[in-house]
This record gives sequence, C-alpha cells and structure tokens, in this order.
Amino acid sequence: MKVSLFVTCLIDLFYTNAGKATVELLERLGCEVDFPEAQTCCGQPAYNSGYVKEAKEAMKQMMRAFAHADYVVTPSGSCAAMVKEYPHLFHGDPEWEEEAKRLAAKTYELTQFLVDVLKVEDVGASLHGRATYHTSCHMTRLLGVKEAPLCLLKNVKGLELVPLPNAHQCCGFGGTFSVKMGPISEQMVDEKIGHIEEVDADYLIGADCGCLMNIGGRIERLGKPIRVMHIAEVLNQRK
Amino acid sequence: MPMKIENGPFWKRVEENLQNDFMREAVAGMQDRGYVRRLGVIEELGHWEEWRSLAEQIRKHTLENLDYYLMQLSENVAKRGGHVFFAQTAEEANDYIRRVALEKQAKKIVKSKSMVTEEINLNPVLEAIGCQVVETDLGEYILQIDDHDPPSHIVGPALHKNKEQIRDVFQRKLGYTKSSDPVELARHAREMLRRDYLTADIGITGCNFAIAESGSITLVTNEGNADLVTALPKTQITVMGMERIVPTFEEMEVLVSMLTRSAVGQKLTSYITVLTGPRDEGDADGPEEFHLVIVDNGRSSILGTEFQPILQCIRCAACVNVCPVYRHIGGHSYGSIYSGPIGAVLSPLLGGYDDYKELPYASSLCAACTEACPVKIPLHELLIKHRQIIVEREGKAPVAEKLAMKAFRLGTASSPLYRFGTKFAPSAFAPFVEDGRITKGPGPLKAWTESREFPAPSKERFRDWFRDRQKGGNPL
Amino acid sequence: MTRGTIQNRDAFLQTIAQRLGRNPRLSDVSRPQWGYQPQWTVFDGYSQDDLLKVLQKQCELIHTDYIETTSAELAGALRRQVAAYGGGPVIVPDDPRFAEYGLSALLRDEWPAEQTTVHIWNPALGRQNIDAAEQANVGIAFSDITLAESGTVVLFSRNEQGRAIHFLPKTYIAIVPKSTVVPRMTQAAAVIHEQIEKGELVPSCINFITGPSNSADIEMNLVVGVHGPMKAAYIVVTDR
Repeated sequence: MKVSLFVTCLIDLFYTNAGKATVELLERLGCEVDFPEAQTCCGQPAYNSGYVKEAKEAMKQMMRAFAHADYVVTPSGSCAAMVKEYPHLFHGDPEWEEEAKRLAAKTYELTQFLVDVLKVEDVGASLHGRATYHTSCHMTRLLGVKEAPLCLLKNVKGLELVPLPNAHQCCGFGGTFSVKMGPISEQMVDEKIGHIEEVDADYLIGADCGCLMNIGGRIERLGKPIRVMHIAEVLNQRK
Repeated sequence: MPMKIENGPFWKRVEENLQNDFMREAVAGMQDRGYVRRLGVIEELGHWEEWRSLAEQIRKHTLENLDYYLMQLSENVAKRGGHVFFAQTAEEANDYIRRVALEKQAKKIVKSKSMVTEEINLNPVLEAIGCQVVETDLGEYILQIDDHDPPSHIVGPALHKNKEQIRDVFQRKLGYTKSSDPVELARHAREMLRRDYLTADIGITGCNFAIAESGSITLVTNEGNADLVTALPKTQITVMGMERIVPTFEEMEVLVSMLTRSAVGQKLTSYITVLTGPRDEGDADGPEEFHLVIVDNGRSSILGTEFQPILQCIRCAACVNVCPVYRHIGGHSYGSIYSGPIGAVLSPLLGGYDDYKELPYASSLCAACTEACPVKIPLHELLIKHRQIIVEREGKAPVAEKLAMKAFRLGTASSPLYRFGTKFAPSAFAPFVEDGRITKGPGPLKAWTESREFPAPSKERFRDWFRDRQKGGNPL
Repeated sequence: MTRGTIQNRDAFLQTIAQRLGRNPRLSDVSRPQWGYQPQWTVFDGYSQDDLLKVLQKQCELIHTDYIETTSAELAGALRRQVAAYGGGPVIVPDDPRFAEYGLSALLRDEWPAEQTTVHIWNPALGRQNIDAAEQANVGIAFSDITLAESGTVVLFSRNEQGRAIHFLPKTYIAIVPKSTVVPRMTQAAAVIHEQIEKGELVPSCINFITGPSNSADIEMNLVVGVHGPMKAAYIVVTDR
C-alpha cells in the first residue's frame, strides 16, 4: 500500500524522531512511504488565530502537495482534524472545493490509519514501564478518534497503561492560546501534570506534538522525572 | 446590574481571580462532579446524539420562523387576557415595566432568576421609583444582599462564594445569628423571603421557554421560588429574550428534558411550571394581571449572520461547566454576566468588541463546549469567527501577530520559501539554545518560555533525513 | 375574557424578517416532521407495573417517600403519612376524587374530630385560601398525570385547586393513581398539545412537580426544602 506522509511542521522542524518512527513503523507494516516535498503546514496556526486568508494559502499548498496521494497519513490528530475541515472552508469555491473534499476523504491520523485501514492492533512493539496517555482534544472531539491509540498501546509488551484522571481536559496548549493567554495556559498544564504525577507514570504518551511540546516543556521546566513520547515512537520501540 | 461587570481590564480580572483559591476549588469541584452526573444521566437516557439533533432542528426551525412564532405567541397571550410588549431596546423594556410598577403603585417586587433582566439592568430602574426589589433565587438573593456582587455563573450565580462568606453577609445584613451550615443559611433565607412573597405587589420572572401554540411561558427551578413569585402577587411581569420560544408543548418537553440534564444532571428539576395568561376567572390565586415583555436588545442583529446559532442557546451552562479556561479564571474574569464559552461568544455580540475583544481568545479551542452543547452550537467555531472579525474588520490584532501571520503566509503558501525559511531555523535559534532547549526565548517565544522550555529545532529537518535516506544515506 | 393588549409588534417583527432576509412570515408555517424522535423510545413497551418500579427507584433520587397502597387502604396510609410529617393543619383542593377514593370521612369528620385542621380550597374565600396554605403543615393533591422517569406529578390548576397548595405548606403529599403513570414528560406534553389542537384552553397553571424544593446554591451542598415544601411523599394507589 502506498502512503503519503504528512509529517506536520512541528515534527519536520522539532520532533523529527516522531517522524522517523512513523516512517519506520509504516514500512514495517508493509507500506511504501513517500514524502511529498511540497508540503508545508495544514494552516491551523493562522486559521485558529482568525487569519483565514493566510490559512487558506497554506491549505491550497497542502492540496497541491498531496493531489496525487492515495492515502495521506499524519502523526497528528489536530492537523488531521484541520484537513478534515477543508471542505467546509472551501465550500462554494469552484476551484478548490472538490480538491478539498478529496484530500479530506483520504487523510488519516496515524493510529486511525493503523487500526481502521491496515486493521492492525498489535504492531509488535515493546516498552517497559508505566505509562499514561493524553487524549488530545482535537483528535478526540473534532476528528472523533478515541479508541485507536489506546487499542494499540494496550498491545505494547511490557507497557503498563494507566488511565489519566480528568483525561478529557485540555492541557492548555491551544496553539497561540499558550502564548496569548500564558498565565491561564500555565494553570491548565500544571493541573494536567498534577494528574500525570498522581498516577505515577514514567511515560506520558500523546499523539499530538503541540500538546506534547506544551506538557513536555512544562515538565522539563519543573524538572519532573517523566518522559514524554509521541505514540509513533512508542509503537516503534522494540526492546 | 447590566451585562457588563465593571471590574477593570481583562488581565487585571484574570490575575485577581487566579489568586482566588476558594473560587477555583469550588469551580473545579462543581465541574468534576457535574461532569460525572451529566454523563450519567445522558447515558441513562440513551440516544443522546439523536436528542441533540432533534433539539438543534427545533431551535433552528424556530429561529428561521421567529417572526411567525412570536406573532402566534403574542396573539395567544392576548386571547388569554395577557398584555404583550415588544421591546427593541433595554430602555424600552425598562420603561414599560416601570410604567406598570407606577400604575400598580408597587412598593415591593419579588423576582425569580432571570438573566435577561440582569442584561437590561432592570432593578435600578425600579429602585429609582421607590420599589423594593427582592431576588428570590437563593444564589441571587445572596448576591443581592452582598451589595450586588455580580453573578459568576449563569445557573449557579453565587458559585464563587463560600459558606463562611455567606454567613458573614447574612450576619451583617440580616441580623443572622446561626452557623455557616448551608441548611441553616437556606432556612433563614426561606423565612425572610416568605414574608416578601406574601406582601409583594408584583412578581417578575424570566422565561425558559415560551410556547407559541398556547401563549404559555415555562419556568424551570429547583427551589420553587418562581412558583411563589407567580402565585401570590397580583401582577406578574415576565421578561423573555425574543429567541426563548418553541412551537408547541411537545418541543418544550424535549428542550426541558435536555436543559435539566445538561444544566444540573437531573431528569427534571423539582419545579417545571407552565403558565398561561393571568389567573382564570374564579381562581383564588395566581396573578390578576399578566404582562409579557419580549426583548430584542441586540439579538436581531445576530439573526441572519454567521453567529445565528448562538441564539439556539437554552442557557444550560453545560459549556461553562466543561470549560477548562472558566475552570481556572472563574466567571468574574469575563467581565460580563454571560461567562464561559457562551459568554465569550455572546458578550462581544451584545456588548461590542471594545469591551470584550479578549474573550474570543480566552479559549484553547479544545471544543469541550461544542461537544457538551445540547443544541449543537459550534461554540469554538464561533470563537474563531470572532477572531477573524477582530483581525479583518476591527483591525484590533496586535502588530507582532500580523507580522507573524504575514510570515506564515509567505512561508507556508509555497514550498521553496518554506524550505528556505526553515532550513536556517537551527542557526537562527542557536544563540538561545542550551542543552537542546530554549529557556529564555526571543520575541514571541518569550511568553512561551515564561513557564515552559521550548525545544531547539532539530539540526536536521525531517525532510532532509528522508531525502538522504532515500538516496541510501540513512538505512533502517 | 377581555383581550389583552399588544404593543410595538409590527416594527419588531419587521426587523426580524429583514434580518432574516425575507418578507415577514406571519401565518402558514407548519412544524416540520422532526428527523429524530428519541423521546418516544424511552420505556417503550413497559407495563404499568414496570413503570411503577421505575417511579419507585426514581423517588429515592429525588428525596421523596414512596408508599404503595390500595384504594381500600388509602385513608389509613394517608393518615399515617400526615402523622409522620407532624400532623395538620392540612390543605386540600376541592376535588371529587377525595370522595371517590373514600377519603371524605377522613377529611370532613375524623381529622377535624382529632383537632387536625383541614382547609378545603374554596375560591369564594379568596385570599383566605392563601393564608390557610401558608399555615398548613401538609398540602395534599391528586396527581393528574405521573411521569415515571423523573418521578414527577403533573397538576392542572382549576378554580377548586389553587396553586399555593403545592408550594406554601411545609410538606407535600401527592396521591398517585396507578393509571395516571406514563413513561415520561413526552406523553404528558402530547396530551396537552392534543387538547390545544382541539381548541381547548390549557389551565392557567400546569405544575410538573418532582419531589421537594431544593437548592445547591451554597457551595453546591444540596439543601432540601428551600422556598417550597421541605418533604414530599407519593402515595401510589395500585388498584386505580
């Protein structure tokens, strides 16, 4: 199966390991991975800040970049949810509406793709320790992917998965929210970290680098002994 | 009090409230218990998504035909001997109610909970003509006697106060001598208010749902105060926002079922009361005269715009009760009687961007509000629409943000520019990097690094790794 | 009945129509067939006995005493419940069902003989009814429709049954004939809607009462008994 990777700007620039893990994982499961070089960003930072025109330019670039892809897979629930919004945003635009629908229909978040398309629930990964999973808001609420990541993590050998209290609550990232409303965002992430500590987790796993950058950045600042990992990295572990 | 709460600029309000440990604990406790309760009753009911779709259809149909249903409602109220006054502005509504109070030579007026009378700032108008106005909802009563402390939640207005504070207010204002036990406090309020119900000349209520087919109004409470407010005084005045209407009893039933579950996790509240006109001929209680005041006050300017869905709101506060931002900053930070996500959308629409330009940004867009809304208002999308207007039409966005977004557009709309721009990220950030992280960021990163580390850009971008690997440089 | 006044309507509705971008729509709108009707599936196929079980369970949640009895035993059950709530004064509507259910002797002879004051709502006495309700320890009324799901009694006001009976007394007892029990508010709303369609006038006050009055306005502590009754009981008559 041929898969086109939409790696997201955060992973391209900062969290390259999550991107590498995604490639290796997909290949191991028999996919042929290609990386359309023309991709940039899904447009969400601008869109969510109210800069719709600017966002749409990025979105058009995405549609051009993935025009020939069969499947578009991305290791980010939030970016996948943004792409799913394209048909709504280009509704009535004769030039882009159809392309927006096509891209939205063939775009999958990584765990969703593994479970729903490849029909794999055990990727043969192993990682030893106690972990909890952060359900990112856009992935669960906007994209509607709730079970897939947990299903995959449950089958990771050696991993003790404990539920995170108040898992439904936002970590306080919210893109520009985290800087515009810094003091509020800080309270939110502190509460999230409090819950992670409550369950005594060695690992905090997530499927969205925005949340992980926020939670991880705060964990580092506070010097907490919790390791933050993208789910692709976990699923690519074999120890 | 008017919609706007006069308590300083946004950040001053937020900073103050972030220091209010009692309030924050109370809000968190309310949210956590409420979350479990609400999900419990929803699950017990079953088919919740169908209920939401039904409720949405009802609300949309009613708004699309609002003139028809208000026509029908007013005809039916008049047929039953009630008087209807259509008020386009707060002033018109207040003038009318004042005229009724003067005509009745009212000395004492009892009120049950109503957000719209807060919004139009009715009480001072009546107090100016010498009426004593008594709020009878326990929470509202507490706030009123505490020198008009503003409400911090649309369903539980006194959520931010603890029982010791309430006891102190009761001691100071009511000569209360007992403990801070909520039961004793409530019993005292019961006794004080009993006298007021029995001696009031006018009862004023809000309206949860007006029913067009019969000219009825529906009141939803747990305390029973609305029933005493409407059963005992000789004159009843009901004030409703013009959108609070349904076609028939059958739609009222559906929306009440969703309101009580979403607001307080109850199947029904203790008292749901449907009142039609004044008392019937030969009745010994109920009002002799009934006035319905239908208020626009800026609502019609929302109709026909992309914000129309906000008028679907049934004021259940489910969005407030799941909002992680409200959780930490509390209701008073919003500077409006409408707080939380509904307040962040509605306040700028009714009160303008000058006073409320920060509210659309007081959200991480986590969409918990949208998910909780029983009538499917896309709250977080409406917040984004506000941001768009602030950027495009109001021109109120900060210069640095505009520049950043210009750069975003340049960098993301074409791949060569993106590649060129990002290639130099590691060297641009290099002066700030220590141990692979940035602790004191420059420019826009500064706000981030106030409380968090920022990752240093990878020396090699993912795309470079991938390209090399395909050339055979990076085998598995 | 004298028709009431309507002021400022035309301009108000005109504005709405304008904003909606069309001409005013003042007649001939019909309710659509709603795409979903989940409310009718709740307790679908439940027997009266099944519904009683639902009602009984719900009463625990709403702090309401639940008593089952038969029409033959009703007078005794009512007498015991009133005693449990501390006795009279008692206020009741002037409702023929009290006689039909064999309660006349209790109301008119037995209680008065025991110095338990009974006030029967009498519209001719005007305001005195309200004073009696205010002084009453127990208000008693027959449920017209009973909602199993929420544990709700539905009461239609009429000349002989004032509103204050349900709110001013310290405690409240509803007599619930088993035949009045329906699954939920849906059925009650449908009955009322049908009456309106037939051109009947709805009563000026319809109360849906679910247990005693309560509030959680102080630190979210539930206080039972705020403005209305502090205790409530439903006496279900299983053979009527």
